[in-house]
Amino acid sequence: MQIELTGVTKIYELGGETFYALRDVNFSVDRGEFVAIMGPSGSGKSTLANIIGGLDRPDQGTVVVDGEHLAKMGDAELSRFRNKKIGFIFQAFNLKGDATALENVMLPLVFARMRPAERKARATECLGVVGLSDRLGHLPSQLSGGQRQRVAIARALATRPSIVIADEPTGNLDSARGEESITMLETLNAEGITVIVITHDPNVGRHARRTFEVHDGQLNEKPAA
Amino acid sequence: MRFTDYFALALRSLRRSRLRSGLTISAIVVGATGLTIMLTFVTSVKNYVVNQFVQTGQIRQIQVAQTANLTYSANGNAGGFNPGGTGPQLTPALELKIGALPHVTRVAATLQTGQQVVQYLAFGGHQLVLNGLSAYEADGVIEPTLVAGRDLGPRDTTNVVLLSQDYADALGFKGSYAKLVGQTVVLHTTQGYTGVGATLPNVLPPQNQCGNGGGGGGGGGFSKVCGPTSGLPAANLAAVVVGVVNGSYQGQQTVYVPLPWAIGILNQAQPQNVHYQFGGGCGPGTPGFGQPGQGQPGQGQPGPGQPSGGGGCGPVGGPQILGPSAGPGQVLGGWRTDTPGQYLSNQGNYQSFLVSVDNTNNIARVANAITHFGVSAATGLDALNKQKQGANIVALVLGALGLVALGIAALGVMNTMVMSVLERTREIGVMRALGARGSTIRRLFTFEAAALGFFGGLFGVLIGYGIVLVAKPIIAKTVNTGSGLPNFSVPLWLVILVIGGTTLIGIVSGLIPARRAARLDPVEALRYE
Repeated sequence: MQIELTGVTKIYELGGETFYALRDVNFSVDRGEFVAIMGPSGSGKSTLANIIGGLDRPDQGTVVVDGEHLAKMGDAELSRFRNKKIGFIFQAFNLKGDATALENVMLPLVFARMRPAERKARATECLGVVGLSDRLGHLPSQLSGGQRQRVAIARALATRPSIVIADEPTGNLDSARGEESITMLETLNAEGITVIVITHDPNVGRHARRTFEVHDGQLNEKPAA
Repeated sequence: MRFTDYFALALRSLRRSRLRSGLTISAIVVGATGLTIMLTFVTSVKNYVVNQFVQTGQIRQIQVAQTANLTYSANGNAGGFNPGGTGPQLTPALELKIGALPHVTRVAATLQTGQQVVQYLAFGGHQLVLNGLSAYEADGVIEPTLVAGRDLGPRDTTNVVLLSQDYADALGFKGSYAKLVGQTVVLHTTQGYTGVGATLPNVLPPQNQCGNGGGGGGGGGFSKVCGPTSGLPAANLAAVVVGVVNGSYQGQQTVYVPLPWAIGILNQAQPQNVHYQFGGGCGPGTPGFGQPGQGQPGQGQPGPGQPSGGGGCGPVGGPQILGPSAGPGQVLGGWRTDTPGQYLSNQGNYQSFLVSVDNTNNIARVANAITHFGVSAATGLDALNKQKQGANIVALVLGALGLVALGIAALGVMNTMVMSVLERTREIGVMRALGARGSTIRRLFTFEAAALGFFGGLFGVLIGYGIVLVAKPIIAKTVNTGSGLPNFSVPLWLVILVIGGTTLIGIVSGLIPARRAARLDPVEALRYE
């Protein structure tokens, strides 16, 4: 197993009330799987993705990714883990508005302390993979929604992570561009990268080998159709 | 993250909000400019003073004076030039003793004649008032800084002067001081001070302070015995200008003369045994004419009375003016021509000694030894330290003002950084998701704050430098009277201090916002709208 969550519980205190974002979740993913986590808004699926990606910590339970216990890591280790192992793709793309496509893709490599020439070559390569070789110097504002999402995918791939976590990757795109993004994720998956997609779009879920549903903090695997 | 990446990202962020960054930097610029200008002026003046002390040798000198006593004595306080002094007088003997002290290289004595000695300096239609003469022993200890000509030397005894720059200016030689060197000026003495080299009168001058002499018999001559008199004539003493002294030298507007000449002129104030008599032309005198004079009868030898024919010697009973019309008079007793030593032991003492010491390290020791003679010793080092202390206080006050301005600017930096963190919360979340550590975020914001401080300091120093450059000629024009001016230049240490200081202020101001940014929960930050 590449990802193994055991008894993961995440609790939020909201206005004096205890709210279970995740309740005793057990979840495992093999290397190279394409997994969809579905569920309505506020069901806890993003919390689950954040915990797998090392952005958030569970209140109870253990998270082991590639043999590493995330709960035992300090901030520096966890940051290095995110940088090397995880590629995040966000619904709102979250690109730096004042940086070019190339600079945006180079950003995780900056945090990886890669040499400037090397990082430029790598970022150029990644933008080539998503078909944006001719948009290296463009600012996000000069790109379409689909292109922005492709820049975000290139950025997620920059450090050559073994896992890509995409949180509602099609949420801000029309259906054609959304489909394009999912196809791209499928291509990555075909190259051996584990892909976890958080979505409430059943069409997206159909691309996944396994689909999970989160309801009120509880995770259930949907039987294969 | 690499250092260069921090710098590049920080600059990018500052560029992104140009107006806000610009305003924040401007506030720092104001403080940094003020600090640069103020400290430049203070340190330049301070360095100027120190240089003056070093150049003139004052730093290795000790000024010796009689110890002061303000208590009045009915019997007269010790005489000389320091009537209030009670300690030993500054005599040639003491000068020798001080000169024999270890580490003392040379001693020079000074005298300052009062205003009553020389009335004015005349040259080419100018008549300039003189506040006495400054006389010094020209043995190399006292070396006024010159703008033209040469110092007084040991061979100069009489009839040479150094003029301070102000006099040279007033005589119309501003900017061409060398032309004044070699010219002959005239020192016009006050009546009674004829001076060495002056032509002595063979006709008695008007006098009005004679004592009660013998009554002149009809047709008979009479002789009078007078004490020191103010009735002696004024004289025009020719003096060759050998040099022009820098106006900033001791800040004095004066005329410097060799010590022997000053004593010679002062000697003439004490005509010795003045006996004079009238030739013909006086009618029968009235017995007991004249007021009892201040002179002591019998102070001098009665001069041989020479019969003179005729009478009618002018008014009777009051101060008598005698002139050529009254018949020729003669000075019979001659003038005192004491040597400086005699003069000093008879008349008073030197005003001060200037003692030159071989090494600044020995100044305190020598000064201490000199005070054991019962005289006061003020070292140039003390004076310099006092001046430096004054300059330091001014620098502190001005520096504090600058710091207040920078303190306000620091609040501006903090405000800017807090706003920046708030605006970029989501970006912080993204960077955290991409692998930035908390410490990376903290450093990133600290770099931004430091950059604000750095550029504020840099521009402040540049503007300050520009203002100093512009102000320099203006100050030279308005303040300078021809004497030297401090070399106003921004010292390197000040550049480093100001830029380093503002950068540090930036860093300190950015600490709290940067820490807040670093501590943001990545998930919360990503959700931030």
